[in-house]
Amino acid sequence: MKLLLKAALAAGLAVSATAATAQVKIGALYPFSGGLALLGDESFRGLELAVEERNAAGGINGKKIEMVKGDAVDPNQAVGEARRLTSVEKVQAVFGTYSSSLSLAATQVTELAGVPYFELGAISDPITERGFKNLFRSNPTARDFAASMVDSIGEAIAPALGVSDPKTLKVAIIHEDSLYGQTVAGYQTARAKEKGINVVETLPYSAKSVDLTPVILRLKSAGADVVLQTSYQNDTVLFFRQAKEQGFKPKAVMGAGGGYSLRETAQAVGYENIEGALNVDFTQYKTNAAAAPGIADFVAKYKAKYGTDPRSGHSLANYVGAKIFFDAFASSKDMTAASIRESVMKIDLPQGSTASGWGAKFNEAGQNTRVKPFVMQWQGGELVTVFPAAAAVTKMKTGLGQN
Amino acid sequence: MDVLIQLLINGIMLGSMYAIISVGLTLIFGVVRVVNFAHGEFLMVGMYAVYLLFAKLGVHPYVAAVPVVILLFLLGVLIQRFIIQPLLDADEHIQIFATVGLSTALVNLALMVFGADLYSVSAPDLRQSLRLGPYTVLVGQVVMLAASLALVIGLHAFMQTTALGRAIRATAQNRTAALLMGVRVDRIYIISFGLGAACVGLAAALVSPLFPATPTVGTYFVLTAFVVVVLGGMRSMYGAFLGAMIIGLVDSLSAYYIAPDLKEVVYFAIFILILIFKPTGLFGFGRGTE
Repeated sequence: MKLLLKAALAAGLAVSATAATAQVKIGALYPFSGGLALLGDESFRGLELAVEERNAAGGINGKKIEMVKGDAVDPNQAVGEARRLTSVEKVQAVFGTYSSSLSLAATQVTELAGVPYFELGAISDPITERGFKNLFRSNPTARDFAASMVDSIGEAIAPALGVSDPKTLKVAIIHEDSLYGQTVAGYQTARAKEKGINVVETLPYSAKSVDLTPVILRLKSAGADVVLQTSYQNDTVLFFRQAKEQGFKPKAVMGAGGGYSLRETAQAVGYENIEGALNVDFTQYKTNAAAAPGIADFVAKYKAKYGTDPRSGHSLANYVGAKIFFDAFASSKDMTAASIRESVMKIDLPQGSTASGWGAKFNEAGQNTRVKPFVMQWQGGELVTVFPAAAAVTKMKTGLGQN
Repeated sequence: MDVLIQLLINGIMLGSMYAIISVGLTLIFGVVRVVNFAHGEFLMVGMYAVYLLFAKLGVHPYVAAVPVVILLFLLGVLIQRFIIQPLLDADEHIQIFATVGLSTALVNLALMVFGADLYSVSAPDLRQSLRLGPYTVLVGQVVMLAASLALVIGLHAFMQTTALGRAIRATAQNRTAALLMGVRVDRIYIISFGLGAACVGLAAALVSPLFPATPTVGTYFVLTAFVVVVLGGMRSMYGAFLGAMIIGLVDSLSAYYIAPDLKEVVYFAIFILILIFKPTGLFGFGRGTE
């Protein structure tokens, strides 16, 4: 009897031991509760779908991926959860994070622990500017957003307006004055200088402002043709409403994601008023599948699992990034940090080869360099991709509002 | 010149909005002597109530003012009776902690119930621009100006002429003496707090067509409201009104002529100067009223 028990115990141990090695354990670090929870969860769904897809196809070289969630409500908790994931759960890699401040904090921990960290959605440039060896980012950064916005003045807006020299357009940069707005506007100013774009006004304002009329009157006096706005939701609504009230009609208005990407903003402003507003953000779902192969498939999978359409482009960005890095896992020799880095550096996907339309080629800092965000536009109550031509589902319209 | 006049019009309209929000705070701050940090959240609660009445029952925001004013009065009464009253004799800091806690709780309750998205009452008739030559002003703003004037005049008359108003003023001036004169101070506090909250209910109905409701909408207004109340001399309705106008004009002009992100710097600088040189406020009653 005793012997039998011992044998059973030993067998059980053996089974659990093989089970432990037959899987790849990863951490999923996102804000699952608190004020950032909505888009944190949306980001996580992209990772979750990528994991399920990979496991259904046999996992990483036959090993299933097992996810352990970490809830990063604020930078302090991001540090605590990153510690738990790396030292208690002993994950082999961490994926995250949606928010830049959470990513900046959590990656300090994983870098010291020598655990690879894969950033799939935070856009602050300094994350990959700290010389970390085990940190990789698949998504575009604030600098990429700003570059896309400024470049599109010459490449898309001027041709659509029938203006032959984009330098004749008067451009105004307005932005909310917290880190997000300051960062993007800083890169815009630098890029505009490089490209010789004529910036006539740069106006920071508080996102808590209850009145943007003075900003609009300044733009009006300066005769701005193109307005680049980096904003949250409240100030986007205020800008559109008050611009209409003051009869300010620029030739083009372009947002840097944020408030411009949200349906609720469009509803509050009114679809007829936001019609024609341009936006640069993570790839959204009305994008030409020729430039983003697999996008329709992703939406179908998302709907099947969660029962709704994706709530934002964050899930797609996370899904695409996770898939790229899982491939790197599969080609790494032994899943050590050094071998993972080696295989991430070997990734070479051309632009337009993933479901988000991005490619993948990582520089020494771990940043993906083949990520040029698309230009989108509000048309008929939908945010549709209009530039570049390969990704566009329809032509860019000019002017603002329906009239 | 055109721009200057448009900015002045705008400042006055902004001022009337600050006024209508600050009048309630004047009552609470001036009479009950509680620094109510949850004042902005009362506005938020009111704005969500207006939105719900509008979206679910199709009630026009101005009609919604009636039930929302009553709702906010009851909310104010309950908060005074069950949260502030037990702390009236406690240290001031404890009262502040209580209202800050209440504010945080209400913001997060709204986040839980409504999420972080904004909800907007669609009232195109009130967002219609009235054109006076080259200048524009919204119908909703004109109504707000008229309503804030009516409210200030009405409340002032109420405080000066009715017995209840006299009792409220007596309590504000000296709680102990009022008690000795037979004023039921606890009840006056409850009524004042309720009235203060009810004013915010009216403000919510008027602000809703112009600004979308978000869980943090109150924080945009509450700091300004405190500046207005102190500027106005704590418990003068007319003072609060004029204080609000000054802040509205400073806000509008400095955002254009200095920089949009520096307007708070300008009016807080003015605020600090007034605290240094005239601590009883621009329209204060003299020493001892602060």
